Amino acid sequence: MEVKLDKQYPLDVDATRAWALLTDLKAVAGCMPGAEITEQLSETSYKGGVKVKVGPAVAQFGGTVDVIEAVAAERKMVLRGKGADKGGSSASMDLTAIITADPSNPAHCVLNGQAAVIVNGKFAQFGGRMMVQVSDMLLAQFVENFRQTALTLPAPEGVGAATSSAAAPTGESATATAAPVVAREINGLAIFWALLKSWFGGLFGKRA
Amino acid sequence: MNAPVQTAEARELALAGMGASRLRKEDARFIQGKGNYVDDIKMAGMLHMDIVRSPIAHGRIVKINKEAALAIPGVHAVLTADDLKPLKLHWMPTLAGDVAAVLADQKVHFQMQEVAIVIADDRYIAADAVEAVEVEYEELPVVLDPYAALQPDAPVIRDDLAGKTEGAHGKRDHHNHIFTWDAGDKSAADAAFDKAEVTVSQHMYYPRVHPCPLETCGCVASFDPIKGELTTFITSQAPHVVRTVVSMLSGIPESKVRIVSPDIGGGFGNKVGIYPGYVCAIVSSIVLGRPVKWVEDRIENISSTAFARDYHMDGELAATADGKITGLRVNVVADHGAFDACADPTKFPAGMFHIVSGSYDIPAAHASVKGVYTNKAPGGVAYRCSFRVTEAVYLIERMVDVLAQKLGMDKAEIRAKNFVKKEQFPYTSAFGFEYDSGDYQTALDKVLEAVDYKGLRAEQAAKRADPNSPTLMGIGLVTFTEVVGAGPSKMCDILGVGMFDSCEIRIHPTGSAIARMGTITQGQGHQTTYAQIIATELGIPSEVIQVEEGDTSTAPYGLGTYGSRSTPVAGAAIALAARKIHAKARKIAAHMLEVNENDLDWEVDRFKVKGDDSKFKTMAEVAWQAYHQPPDGLEPGLEAVHYYDPPNFTFPFGIYLCVVDIDRATGETKVRRFYALDDCGTRINPMIIDGQIHGGLTEGFAVAMGQQMPFDAQGNLLGNTLMDYFLPTFVETPHWETDHTVTPSPHHPLGAKGVAESPHVGSIPTFTSAVVDAFSHLGVTHLDMPHNAFRTWKALREHGAAL
Repeated sequence: MEVKLDKQYPLDVDATRAWALLTDLKAVAGCMPGAEITEQLSETSYKGGVKVKVGPAVAQFGGTVDVIEAVAAERKMVLRGKGADKGGSSASMDLTAIITADPSNPAHCVLNGQAAVIVNGKFAQFGGRMMVQVSDMLLAQFVENFRQTALTLPAPEGVGAATSSAAAPTGESATATAAPVVAREINGLAIFWALLKSWFGGLFGKRA
Repeated sequence: MNAPVQTAEARELALAGMGASRLRKEDARFIQGKGNYVDDIKMAGMLHMDIVRSPIAHGRIVKINKEAALAIPGVHAVLTADDLKPLKLHWMPTLAGDVAAVLADQKVHFQMQEVAIVIADDRYIAADAVEAVEVEYEELPVVLDPYAALQPDAPVIRDDLAGKTEGAHGKRDHHNHIFTWDAGDKSAADAAFDKAEVTVSQHMYYPRVHPCPLETCGCVASFDPIKGELTTFITSQAPHVVRTVVSMLSGIPESKVRIVSPDIGGGFGNKVGIYPGYVCAIVSSIVLGRPVKWVEDRIENISSTAFARDYHMDGELAATADGKITGLRVNVVADHGAFDACADPTKFPAGMFHIVSGSYDIPAAHASVKGVYTNKAPGGVAYRCSFRVTEAVYLIERMVDVLAQKLGMDKAEIRAKNFVKKEQFPYTSAFGFEYDSGDYQTALDKVLEAVDYKGLRAEQAAKRADPNSPTLMGIGLVTFTEVVGAGPSKMCDILGVGMFDSCEIRIHPTGSAIARMGTITQGQGHQTTYAQIIATELGIPSEVIQVEEGDTSTAPYGLGTYGSRSTPVAGAAIALAARKIHAKARKIAAHMLEVNENDLDWEVDRFKVKGDDSKFKTMAEVAWQAYHQPPDGLEPGLEAVHYYDPPNFTFPFGIYLCVVDIDRATGETKVRRFYALDDCGTRINPMIIDGQIHGGLTEGFAVAMGQQMPFDAQGNLLGNTLMDYFLPTFVETPHWETDHTVTPSPHHPLGAKGVAESPHVGSIPTFTSAVVDAFSHLGVTHLDMPHNAFRTWKALREHGAAL
């Protein structure tokens, strides 16, 4: 089962910090609920996992993430993730993320994400009809975490009122000083609640 | 002898023989939950098996790591194809002349394919261990559409067949091609089309569905290493064939293999084949020396055991301008999944599809079926039908509707015009079938009158004239003929064994009896109806006749129960075994009454001396004599065995009419009326016939209105739970009206033809006919199944009929 996502998230973070965070795969993984990078295999290849808990069922996808392309000039990152769960599911994702500056407000930017997610096995069979909604929820949580983490980074010079003493991070992990912000696991109840809210919202025409 | 003198009629009634609506003997135990199904069987020291299955539809197995699973306490073994290889059991032959992987050998070909098995102390440990087996796959491109599979550059599904240009059914011209099978006369059909005044054509897809019996498949295998004997309790519609196959695969002499089909919770074709799970459980029991139970769950059942249908069909009719059909051409692309595991008689890779000329006298006809491999589960079984008869009936009935629409003729009128007439029987069709008997016109007239067909058409016209009508009304009509009772061994065999069937009857000294059969009931009520046949033939009350089936150690060899063959084949075997006993009983009675055999008359339950009603011997008295003091020159005892090889198939028929109202706002289809007239020849138990028809209509309703097995582009099956797969309950099921005519089969000893599958075969096109009829004034000639609300709503919108 393939789900294609094309999302734009306006952030109250400047493009420089957002890009800095995006290039730090370990930190990005930290923003994804339930995900973590456990090992760096090469310059562009990482090993990691995602744990999803829905009620009593836990699916644990283990796999690899490869950086296919990282173009600083365009603030564009292309990733490919592949993984499998022992319970008989497998998944892969091709993700292109681009940070675009907000021309009207240098302290803001837009995170553009295009993803093609392919899920096989039980997850596709049972979860198929929820995939788009659940993906939406996951991404919304991810973006919120991303935003909060990026805000903890030192702001670049000339942007907003934030202190500008520190240089942009280079080799060191950008989040070395940033505390992890959110729950490390995807909370099934929270997803369910959010889905319910958005469904009711949709019923009454309040959905964005 | 002070028993009251009873009239012959009263004695006949007391026998509860043929024609009596005798209550089902089986139900007492079933409604009390006291059936004995495979999963009820528990044996000392029994271990449990579970299966590791592929999450992807096509890929290479890079490696399998068993260590974590083997480390779980209570796990006895984890086996893969490599473990079965030394035994040469990693692949097995299929009934269709192909081979199928028992456990995936280097590659997986469909989602949920068996990759490894785990044997553990209990079912729960086995399930945990399945999750602990780590399998690494390298994904390959997936082919799901059979047309795409036949493209030159399509991915190769069966690496193991590389270079094989000859299959079990002739030439293979592509790496995903299985067979091309032709029937009829192509040049004659082409000539009819060249000369035709009118031609019509229609493409239709008969979706992949699953028989989905309530009880899933499973077995308990128990090998005794001391005696070298293997006993297996198994959900099989053909236990004797299973014994032969198990013996051939395992090398254990057939005499030391005992296969038992206990109570079976529905088969519908799903339990004809031999599945990897059975083979693995048997191998495990032989290896471990302990009983091993395997019972699949619902998802495994729908995903991996035999599906049905999946025919992409193109039909064409040639006709005169006034509606006389002159030619038929059919082309089918058949999706068989990854292995050709259809359960058909050996010579017929598309089963009895060539019954596709239906109830109509079509002088020239040709059909071609091309079997194709795809990355889907294998199967293609006869889901409540006789080997692809359902697909054939669907095609011809749809085509006749399409032709009627083109000519502006009424559906009933065009059928009547083309019927094989009563006086034409026995009738040889353009495909070579010899139809035994039929009277289609009488049956059609009866139905049209019963439902007031003219009135219905008038009502429909009024509704169509009203633009504000909230519903579209449709009338479906089908006049089908089946071919069942496979079959004559000169034409039909399975793995080389002729498709006869058998019966052994023993009359006990006190006049009760036991009959053992080569068939096996799965809900058909054999224990009830078979006894009724014997009751009538031998004058023994059906209450004291035991019927046993399913244990290969006691029952005579038979080919089993599917394709509506129990009554046409085994029913005849019963009658003829009983008649052998009857002949011997007559000799004994003559001896007892001291008259010549020819001086005796048979009346219900006794032999009477001609002209003297006071001198008689009942069958019970004869039985006592047979064991007590048989006449000189006669063996003691009173028993007989008969193996019946039918001279021909039987051809039951029916006329079905359905009225639907389709909600123009929601697309929901309400079945207002369904009238089913069946002619199955002689009727043995009218109540059971009604029950069978209700069941078959309900399964037909399920297929037509909701069942489907959708796959996404990656080959994930998206309908393998009962949340998705439509099994109608009492709530959804419409009311059924049944009726009958009786046209006995001239070649069957009882005149009976078989009935349980007719309602399934006949009803499915009737629903489509009704739904399409509701749209026909909009120029719609066909809509593919399932006719669920969403699809129908889309059609309403597409044709501007939605509210």
